[in-house]
Amino acid sequence: MSYDRMEGTDMSSSQEAAIRLRFSRADGSLGRLGTEKLVERALAFSAASSGAAILFVIAFVFMKAYPLLARDGLAWLARADWDGAVMEAWWNPDFWRFGALPLLVGTFATTTGALMVAVPLGVGCAIILSEVAPPGLGRILATAVRLLSGVPSVIFGLVGLTVVVPFVQKTFITEELGLRYVDVPLDGQSLLAGSLVLAFMIIPFVVAVSADAMRSVPESYRFGGLALGMTKWRTIAKLVIPPALPGIVAGIVLATARGIGEAIAMAMVAGGLANIPHLDRGFVAFLEPVRTLASAIVENGEGMSVLQVESALFSLGATLLVVSVVTSILARAAFSRLRTKTGLATERAI
Amino acid sequence: MARLSFAHVRSRFWMAACWVSAAVVLAVCAGIVLAMAARGIGALEPSFFTTDPQPSFEESLAGGIRAPLAGSVILAVSGILAVFLPSLGAAIYLAEYMDEQKLGTRAIRLGLEVLAGVPSVVFGFWGLAVFSQPIFAFLSDSAGGDATSAFGRSFLVGALVMAVHILPFVVKVMEEAIRAVPRALREAGYALGLTKWRMIKRVVLPSAAPGIVTAIVLGLGLIVGDTAIVWLTVGGTMTMSGADAWWLPHNWLPVLKGTGSTLTTFIFYSSPAGEGNAPGKAYGAAFVLLALVVALNAFVAWIGRQRSIKAQ
Amino acid sequence: MNDVAEVVLPAVPTAGTASVDVACEPWAVQAAGVSSWYGSNQVLKDVDICIPQRRITALIGPSGCGKSTFLRCVNRMNDLIRGFRMQGTVSVHGEDINGPQVDVTLLRRTVGMVFQHPNPFPMSVYDNIALAVREHKPSINRDELDGIVEQSLKDAHLWDEVKDRLSGSALGLSGGQQQRLCIARALAVKPEVLMLDEPCASLDPIATGKIEELLLQLRERYTIIIVTHNLAQARRISDEMAFFLMGEMLEQGPTQQVLAAPQREETAAYLDGSYG
Ligand SMILES: Nc1ncnc2c1ncn2[C@@H]1O[C@H](COP(=O)(O)OP(=O)(O)O)[C@@H](O)[C@H]1O
Ligand SMILES: [Mg+2]
Repeated sequence: MSYDRMEGTDMSSSQEAAIRLRFSRADGSLGRLGTEKLVERALAFSAASSGAAILFVIAFVFMKAYPLLARDGLAWLARADWDGAVMEAWWNPDFWRFGALPLLVGTFATTTGALMVAVPLGVGCAIILSEVAPPGLGRILATAVRLLSGVPSVIFGLVGLTVVVPFVQKTFITEELGLRYVDVPLDGQSLLAGSLVLAFMIIPFVVAVSADAMRSVPESYRFGGLALGMTKWRTIAKLVIPPALPGIVAGIVLATARGIGEAIAMAMVAGGLANIPHLDRGFVAFLEPVRTLASAIVENGEGMSVLQVESALFSLGATLLVVSVVTSILARAAFSRLRTKTGLATERAI
Repeated sequence: MARLSFAHVRSRFWMAACWVSAAVVLAVCAGIVLAMAARGIGALEPSFFTTDPQPSFEESLAGGIRAPLAGSVILAVSGILAVFLPSLGAAIYLAEYMDEQKLGTRAIRLGLEVLAGVPSVVFGFWGLAVFSQPIFAFLSDSAGGDATSAFGRSFLVGALVMAVHILPFVVKVMEEAIRAVPRALREAGYALGLTKWRMIKRVVLPSAAPGIVTAIVLGLGLIVGDTAIVWLTVGGTMTMSGADAWWLPHNWLPVLKGTGSTLTTFIFYSSPAGEGNAPGKAYGAAFVLLALVVALNAFVAWIGRQRSIKAQ
Repeated sequence: MNDVAEVVLPAVPTAGTASVDVACEPWAVQAAGVSSWYGSNQVLKDVDICIPQRRITALIGPSGCGKSTFLRCVNRMNDLIRGFRMQGTVSVHGEDINGPQVDVTLLRRTVGMVFQHPNPFPMSVYDNIALAVREHKPSINRDELDGIVEQSLKDAHLWDEVKDRLSGSALGLSGGQQQRLCIARALAVKPEVLMLDEPCASLDPIATGKIEELLLQLRERYTIIIVTHNLAQARRISDEMAFFLMGEMLEQGPTQQVLAAPQREETAAYLDGSYG
């Protein structure tokens, strides 16, 4: 062992004449470089296999969706017959006329309804969290938001089903209403219940991302506004929110994505029927059951043994994939806009 | 008394509206916790944890959550085991070696980001279809012995699908933790004559360890909280089909290859939406699940605090 | 795998053998015609410098003039920076640091470095020192390692202050202690040249005094290059002095001589300006 140079004293005499090599490898050996290359390959391999897994998921979903897409193009998205079609496909192997419009409408309606509640509440809450709350209250609020984001969706479903649904039924659905509209069951499992439950599932995204965006606005902006004699609210509205806006938008986009993809809770509270709410019935439309794209995959999952149903469900999955690609691109764009607006540079370590 | 200007009235109105929003969020959060406590605590007798679910019309006879609780643990542990090495490897590669200019690496990054947003139900359905292929028959025991397809549902299948589902998220958190290691520490490592990998192994990874643990714990939370993947890929059986005595090592493989339930699917099944219809039991299980999630969250927060104390 | 061990390293010139050694290799570090660029920004311009063995050489000059860059050229830390380029030759004990067979990790063990801000690893005091030692000699046993840790801490004048808290986090030490830990860490891999880049810039006068005292003792065994903005410090501890300005090395000589009678106007102006 020559590690300890003290021990190597006896070696130096024979090499006195030549330059003693301290850090060159005269034998041309690679030292540890061999291991280095090996490790790098192994790491590259795990990164590449993650990439391969991604490709595989996407490719597989589209492959399974292909039979329906090849026969029907996108027409199945515009047709309005889901439950009946799934039934028919069970016994008729040539049946391919699916109509996912009710699911599309159901997804759009629950998510929009949820956003109408979640965005104002969430942004308001974010303002309190980042601009107003004293540290103690801020911590409580932040904990509550984190807790809310961690509550499993099945618990939202359970509470929704045992609290929100009965509430909707008792408050809005009279016997007379049930008799008047016999074509759809009005039992509280409804677009309204779905939207309310979904709203609180997605609020944490709005709050967390918006509050982060507001915190990234330089402190000097606020001082500037207050120094000009603006009220607290005007300072927030005119000087803090505008530069933070892309971040707020990003939060809303992420919340939307989450809402669109929620399956279990919507299966539990939104009603088990692929129904397009009848807008001509006014408020009653909100009390009608709907089904979302994501919850259809759970609720009709047992149909997977039927080729057409499987293909139709994978077409729903492909739709969700496309939507999540679009939303993640939008969120990315919003975040990079936020960075340019608040002057935050992205830092890279070496 | 000074007259309030319009600006002040407006300011107060909007600030009040913000306070109301915050109060609503707090109230809903508290409401959920209280609902769990009020309706769930009643179910929490010792026997609730030591008996398996029983199909019964009579709620009092519907049994406990022994198997689902064990199922959650089994699925979480095996899912994390499956995801740990690939995600750590990918995170190290992305953070330390990746040439941002290369198309392949950019594609991986974009792909991970996109996949992170895909709803779990899509993964569940994907997994069910993939692992029903005959070549994957060794992952799941089919009771029927059907030769043309595998059963496609088992803890192993569920764990693998979970691994793919949480991979992008886990990689992201790990990568951030690795990137957050200060440049000064890296330089110190290099200046001592460490090679790149040695420097990463000895300096970067130990410094990033709290973040890596955080990624794992958050991943556990995702697995424990997910319903759709479990419902679709672990099978709808409330007890374990593999073996009852799941804790005995020689039963591990049969259990992993068999079906079962987790707390989430137990809640789904026992809720009025499922066939079990034992809401009291569902609330009991929900209370346990919530406590588990809160504990995981608290652990993550604790790690974060430790880190910020150290950083001072 | 420890090929490192296969390379036969020479004996450290101890007091007895010093005369022979100095005679055949008078310079520990020699730079000839060194120019360097970060991207298209030229930072060093044709720098020639000779650093004598077992002396303290102070590099002085206004900030941004390339002192750190020069140090980072000597142990090739700049290799880590994308877009960095260097021309000219640097040799350490006559061995070209850019030679085709150079193992950079061995070079960096020969030429240790201490940075401006103390940067202990976020682990125990013991592990901070043991880390690199273990890496370079995986088979080392615990007793041997304990010995190296203790010796390094003693050499860095830190042993008495930390001997009871070796397993405590290094981040719990004071700034001055952290910097001495970083010195101990560098010494533990047995370098021959020790480079310190403004090691006292973030320390108070007392901690600074301790480090100066320490360097004066290390001077007997190591070649020390120190970058400093503190001319009083340079006067107190250095034997040689080199003045950098805008990427050029304008003047080098014994410290007393440079301070008393600078050869170049620019040096005189810098010294005057700094004295106020
Ligand atoms: N990593 C780097 N990338 C680009 N330019 C750098 C880098 N490090 C230093 N420079 C530039 O090189 C010049 C010299 O810097 P430096 O050697 O740190 O000066 P000194 O240590 O004398 O204060 C400065 O103009 C600085 O901006
Ligand atoms: Mg410098």
